[in-house]
Amino acid sequence: MAQVETLGILQDLESLLSDQLQVVSYKWLSRNYLLPSNDAKRLLQEFVEKRGNGFEVVYALSGWLRSNPPSYHIRLVSGPKLAEAKQEFDGSCSVQVYSVQACIPKDPAVLWNAEFVQAEELFKQPSTVDNCLRDNRFCAISNAFIKRNVEGTPLSVSAPQLQSGVGLGQSKSNLTRQNVAVQQSLQDKREQFSSKVGVPSPNVVKEVKSESNCTGVNDQVNKPPTNREKVPSVPANKKKVQNNKSYSGTEGSLAFFRNRASAKSKATCPSETSNGASADAQICAQEAVRIEGVSSDDDGQDMNFKRASNGEGTRKRRVVIDYSDDEYEDAVNLASPDTGKCGQDLKQSIKTLVPEKSNSNFDKHVKDKLKVKENVKIDQRSPLVKDDSSAVTSDRTTGTSPKDRTCSSVPENDMNKKDTLTKTAPDSPKRRKVLKTRIDERGREVTEVIREGEETEAEKAKDGTAKKADSSAMKKVENNTVSSNVNRPSAAKKSPAVGNTTPSNQTGKPANKKTGNKDPKQGNILSFFKRV
Amino acid sequence: MLELRLVQGSLLKKVLEALKDLVNDANFDCSATGFSLQAMDSSHVALVALLLRSEGFEHYRCDRNLSMGMNLNNMSKMLKCAGNDDIITIKADDGSDTVTFMFESPTQDKIADFEMKLMDIDSEHLGIPEAEYHAIVRMPSAEFARICKDLSSIGDTVVISVTKEGVKFSTRGDIGSANIVCRQNTTVDKPEEATVIEMNEPVSLTFALRYMNSFTKATSLSNTVTISLSSELPVVVEYRIAEMGYVRFYLAPKIEEDEDETKP
Repeated sequence: MAQVETLGILQDLESLLSDQLQVVSYKWLSRNYLLPSNDAKRLLQEFVEKRGNGFEVVYALSGWLRSNPPSYHIRLVSGPKLAEAKQEFDGSCSVQVYSVQACIPKDPAVLWNAEFVQAEELFKQPSTVDNCLRDNRFCAISNAFIKRNVEGTPLSVSAPQLQSGVGLGQSKSNLTRQNVAVQQSLQDKREQFSSKVGVPSPNVVKEVKSESNCTGVNDQVNKPPTNREKVPSVPANKKKVQNNKSYSGTEGSLAFFRNRASAKSKATCPSETSNGASADAQICAQEAVRIEGVSSDDDGQDMNFKRASNGEGTRKRRVVIDYSDDEYEDAVNLASPDTGKCGQDLKQSIKTLVPEKSNSNFDKHVKDKLKVKENVKIDQRSPLVKDDSSAVTSDRTTGTSPKDRTCSSVPENDMNKKDTLTKTAPDSPKRRKVLKTRIDERGREVTEVIREGEETEAEKAKDGTAKKADSSAMKKVENNTVSSNVNRPSAAKKSPAVGNTTPSNQTGKPANKKTGNKDPKQGNILSFFKRV
Repeated sequence: MLELRLVQGSLLKKVLEALKDLVNDANFDCSATGFSLQAMDSSHVALVALLLRSEGFEHYRCDRNLSMGMNLNNMSKMLKCAGNDDIITIKADDGSDTVTFMFESPTQDKIADFEMKLMDIDSEHLGIPEAEYHAIVRMPSAEFARICKDLSSIGDTVVISVTKEGVKFSTRGDIGSANIVCRQNTTVDKPEEATVIEMNEPVSLTFALRYMNSFTKATSLSNTVTISLSSELPVVVEYRIAEMGYVRFYLAPKIEEDEDETKP
């Protein structure tokens, strides 16, 4: 039984080392498989003996140095340098396998990275969960008088610590924080382990000796601290070792810096998102979609949309759609003033929420895609209509599709619907046309097709002032029209501003028809390259 | 665990500038060989393939193959925060849903960390077969950008015809038509200014200028551009990134009949 279990672990080890290229240290092993750390060391030793070829081994040497005055020294040494390093120790020193890995990492921090992450995870577990770090169950020394605080140390304590400490010191201090040692609950578990893992297999006799040396050593080192700090002492040792190895200053400190940075960012991640949410709180925009008709082809039907949400959205919000061939940059800028407050809020929410990903969102995303297709159909029709009537209307309001309409939420009313709003560019784009969709103040999606070119700048200025008028006018816009042409009062406002563009619009129109005709002729890359 | 340290950080900035107009979201694939991306534009007309080989990085660590979905606009926003001389390090942990960009100033006195959320993107990876192209044109990238820009003010499409004499770019629009011919020219002082044409058989293909123009956003990456044409294949517009890899743009041609209209 024990042998079988051991074999299983050895196999796991092999895949960890060769497939995942993880550094497996005895501490990691001990915690991961719930082995006493001495057993973990033996197991590693066994592994090295059996299948050590192709893997690099780091040994932990400990003993008194020959130097004067003699100092107690613990050192991590890679396999090839083992013999050499032994010479520096006075008399015998204990030799244990510290870790096994596919190759000796350049950055020493990698050595303890895996176990550091593991320790972090263990401490992050809810305080009610017993784990091997909390109850110190693998410690060789236990003190029956120490009672464990059932509530556990709040996690928040450990998180900041991770950031402020340096390197291993952190984990040590964390460890010491924990109230350790409750024997009762362990008892069972320990029995389990011992039966599972089985104690030293016969071929490890040699190591047992060094093992015992080692514990002696640890005791020495740990004398000053109390017994229950036994486990923490291991990181402490390691820290020492690191210092002794004297890594090049910048390298080491930089490594710490990096690790710290990443730890920190992890820790702060949740709060970041909540910040994002609070920024949005006013508008309750939990979900945002932004679509930009950025790069639609002359001929292609384009749907470019970005989608963002932070998950539990209660509302939906949309969308700045700018569609323009050559004035893309301008058009984007244009969008914000045009959409006024909504636009700004939207942008904000986009900024904070954008790449949020979650499976549920993903599902929605798929739905959205379907919806996009619906919209495409609608929009395909609309340009045609527009071509007919565009002589009269330079501005146009397109009602959203029925689905979108129901989805669009009104900022003031707390409507809960959110799905994304998707916008599509008409399929016969042409150079002078800007299609904008925005939300008016009542939350409806408004699509405007503006034919114009360079004058967008001028219009931009106008838009700010025109906006209010627009929005009130908007209220009258019939929601139910799927693609109705509505001459809005604001159109009148805009046309003067756009006055200059009228001629260019006219020249643009024939071009539009032409490109519209060509659409089907644009080849598709998928007809040349096959999906893998 | 992924850690890529790129001393010439401006390169990554330029790459993003080149890609972000064409593609919104894309998966960056990291493997032991390098940092790569393949993505189509949303209309599936153009495809971009980026490769930055691991040798080009000062430090390249990629423990296992990793695919990171990023919004290129957002990534570009972050990279814009890096100075042109900054050293950029890209870091990601296995299973993490964020990627970290670290910018170190050349003097090491400023270090900035930007963490960006990743996204799940359905990647449609296309197999791009190795092909013999009928004609391969190498020319100064700035020249090509200029031609595309000029022609797009006149027409929507460009016909690229390669003959023995040279390569002809022509367009026709409402206001008239334009033809630009570049002759083979290898007798220049600097090799990067040469126009070299290797042709097995004459080719003439029509493309949407809009895409060509967005390809030329990569002009800053390389002094020369290589345009490979075959009548049965999408054109390849390739910008080599010195000692690192390349950005290749593939664009499906417009279908033949179309040519009759646009051809002068």
